[in-house]
Amino acid sequence: MLSVEGLTVRADATDLVHDVSFAIAPGERVGLIGESGSGKSLTALSLMGLLPEGVTAAGRARLGERDLVGVPESRIKGLRGDELSMVFQEPMTALNPLMRIGAQVTEVMTLHGRSRQEARARSAELLERVRLPEPAQIARAYPHQLSGGQRQRVMLAIALANEPRLLICDEPTTALDVTVQKQMLELIAEVAPALLFITHDLAVVASVCERVLVMYGGRVVESGPIREVFTRPRHRYTQGLLAASKLTPRGTRLPVIEGGVPAAGRFPGGCVFRNRCPHATPECETPPALTGDGHAFACWHPAD
Amino acid sequence: MSRRTSAKANRGRMNAGLLAGGALVALVVLTALVSFFWTPHDPTLVDAAGKLREPGGGYLLGADKFGRDTFSQLMVGARTTLYVGVVAVGIAAALGVPLGMAAGMTPRGWLSELIMRVNDLVFAFPALLLAVMLGAVYGAGTLTAMIAIGVATVPAFARVARAATLQVMVTDYILAARAAGRRRGAIALRHVLPNIGSMLIVQASVSFAIAILAEAALSFLGFGTRPPTPSWGRMLQESQELLFSTPRLALWPGIAIALAVLGFNLLGDGLRDFLDPKLRRIRAER
Amino acid sequence: MPSHAGTQPTDALITAERLNRVYHRPRTSLTRPGAAVHALRDVSLTVRRGERHGIVGESGSGKSTLLRLLCALDQPTSGSIRFDGQEITGRPERRLRFLRENLQIVFQDPMSSLDPRMRVRDLVAEPLTALGLPVGDRVAELLDAVGLPAEAAGRYPHQFSGGQRQRIAIARALAPRPKVLVADEPVSALDVSVRGQILNLLADLVDELGLTLVFVSHDLSVVRHVCETVSVMRQGEIVEGGLVDDVWAEPAHPYTRELLAAVPTLEGFA
Repeated sequence: MLSVEGLTVRADATDLVHDVSFAIAPGERVGLIGESGSGKSLTALSLMGLLPEGVTAAGRARLGERDLVGVPESRIKGLRGDELSMVFQEPMTALNPLMRIGAQVTEVMTLHGRSRQEARARSAELLERVRLPEPAQIARAYPHQLSGGQRQRVMLAIALANEPRLLICDEPTTALDVTVQKQMLELIAEVAPALLFITHDLAVVASVCERVLVMYGGRVVESGPIREVFTRPRHRYTQGLLAASKLTPRGTRLPVIEGGVPAAGRFPGGCVFRNRCPHATPECETPPALTGDGHAFACWHPAD
Repeated sequence: MSRRTSAKANRGRMNAGLLAGGALVALVVLTALVSFFWTPHDPTLVDAAGKLREPGGGYLLGADKFGRDTFSQLMVGARTTLYVGVVAVGIAAALGVPLGMAAGMTPRGWLSELIMRVNDLVFAFPALLLAVMLGAVYGAGTLTAMIAIGVATVPAFARVARAATLQVMVTDYILAARAAGRRRGAIALRHVLPNIGSMLIVQASVSFAIAILAEAALSFLGFGTRPPTPSWGRMLQESQELLFSTPRLALWPGIAIALAVLGFNLLGDGLRDFLDPKLRRIRAER
Repeated sequence: MPSHAGTQPTDALITAERLNRVYHRPRTSLTRPGAAVHALRDVSLTVRRGERHGIVGESGSGKSTLLRLLCALDQPTSGSIRFDGQEITGRPERRLRFLRENLQIVFQDPMSSLDPRMRVRDLVAEPLTALGLPVGDRVAELLDAVGLPAEAAGRYPHQFSGGQRQRIAIARALAPRPKVLVADEPVSALDVSVRGQILNLLADLVDELGLTLVFVSHDLSVVRHVCETVSVMRQGEIVEGGLVDDVWAEPAHPYTRELLAAVPTLEGFA
């Protein structure tokens, strides 16, 4: 349904996302994992046509029959919030502080051609669907009167309003408490028609998604079914990240990846991970291709 | 959702504003400096024979109704303008910044309340009226005008300093400085002042432009710079009766004031963009 | 203010008793005062010398308020805190020197806790200069201890990555040779691949220097890795406390159980 081929996002002369390809089938939940500077958010924004000024996307991305990349803004605008919608990390800034919740949910539907009456009736339904208590009261409230978790549910209701074919979530629970996060993740997994879930947290991805793409330095370095990738990572970066994510009891040393994540544009040529990789050899100066059926990885010296 | 604008676009724009503003300000400053050593003619020399002399023949812009060379007057007038701006803004900053910082560092105390209410009072009082009153009591003159404009500008500085200080005070590095054992005074000097400095510089250049206008207005009204010291505002006033017969006499000081004000405003805007820490971070990361 | 050091066990370094902190919201009506918010209710806590104590809680649990009180960056509405036998509440800053020399903090976000306009040299030396202690070669020594090159001293914080900045913050905290290090969510703003480095570094330094550690986090699994003892906070109260391993294995309070169950894990992926 969604197919992305050779997506490259560029600012000035720097490739921030390089040659990314993946596909999402209807009903599928795909995680996009990466640390800061990995290009995961830019990938999502380029699909939404929401790249910052001065940043451009090239390549192909299609949702059904429609192109998402390299088409005029006006064409994507109609799709945004309709066929394809997004939930952001910070629900407070994504909601208009001066509009009642109900009106904000209704607006996204009337914008895409529903009648006011129909939209109003449906907005109550939507607020209930995201399991907000007392939806009628919530609809009359202003954003600041809700908790962070409630606001994020409202964002989800807005995102679902026009029955999109694909839902993109960018760190939707990072700003929430863990107990609230759990409920939110369950809800997202349940209601998403098809999901692209962006996060830095491996454990969160594991609880929501079926398939995962691991990004580092603007490239997908490994992809495949979660269970396979997480139990038998092949790329050395994925392996290190998984090891670093598991916190052991006290007194033991944590496995680490040496060095820090380079700033955008400062990743090495060839394999982007080679300056931090304990297995790097001169061979790694040639960029490895992402190869493999189902479980793919881009590494010259994969783990067993 | 907020959109980040690209660093590059901002860089281009801020350079244009900054350059144009800087160039105009530099022109004014340079003119004032040169006037100390050289002017084509004595700007105060009254010459009955050269009354309303047309431009040309060593008199680049002609002469006024007393036969004084307009170009020389403009040059020395730049001096007066800068002098007034520097002293007025200096007074305003010297009083306003400490007051604003004190208010910002004790946001819930009575001191802060007192400072800001008095501030509102001064702010509500028209600057020109204050100058006229001071002039009436202590005698009109450049010094009175400067003090009046300076005092009237104190609230602008106090407000900006307070708002900026409030923003800085809630940051973790202030908490970290306190945890490190820094006392209040040291925090003000080492952490608050450097971090609000850029906003103060912007305010200074905007206030400078306002001070130039205020001085011109006061001189025009006869409450500013006294004759024979040349001043752009008084040149305007003296040209009033000849506005239709010899418009150039009003035109030149008018252009000079406009350019100086424009220059300081552009400089202020340019600096605002240039010194914005968010933009700076983007630049630094590249 | 007289202290009553005689009544406590000798190895207690920080003793907080019945701390309350009430904030007043800004008034929204002319006639009524702003609503009162109980950020802390009757919180008591003892941290022994050499102990690594974790404080766990979600937003609004009062953990940040407690931390500020322990560091004398805020005053309790009522209650007492003794540090090494001396009362620290109600003292003006000039009489807190003993605390500042002996207790230092590492904050959550090294981007905002380091003054962007100061060089690393001055940032690391600040606790020393603030207390009038000699700086000497201490900066180079500290940078070395946290694994940063000596040239780092001349640069500004924005020239470093998140993990490096947190190393700078740690170096700064260690400058006056404190007995206690308070860490407020020191790794939650960092990338996962860097988190381990910082946690290992903290563990090494705490061991090497024999520090007492107070470690605040929203994540019980991080606390389990770092600490021996833990206090679980919720809505301004400590609902459960004890050895981390016991709390982890058999949480007694329903909230602790909920918290443990909610943390997403990678267990099940070998």
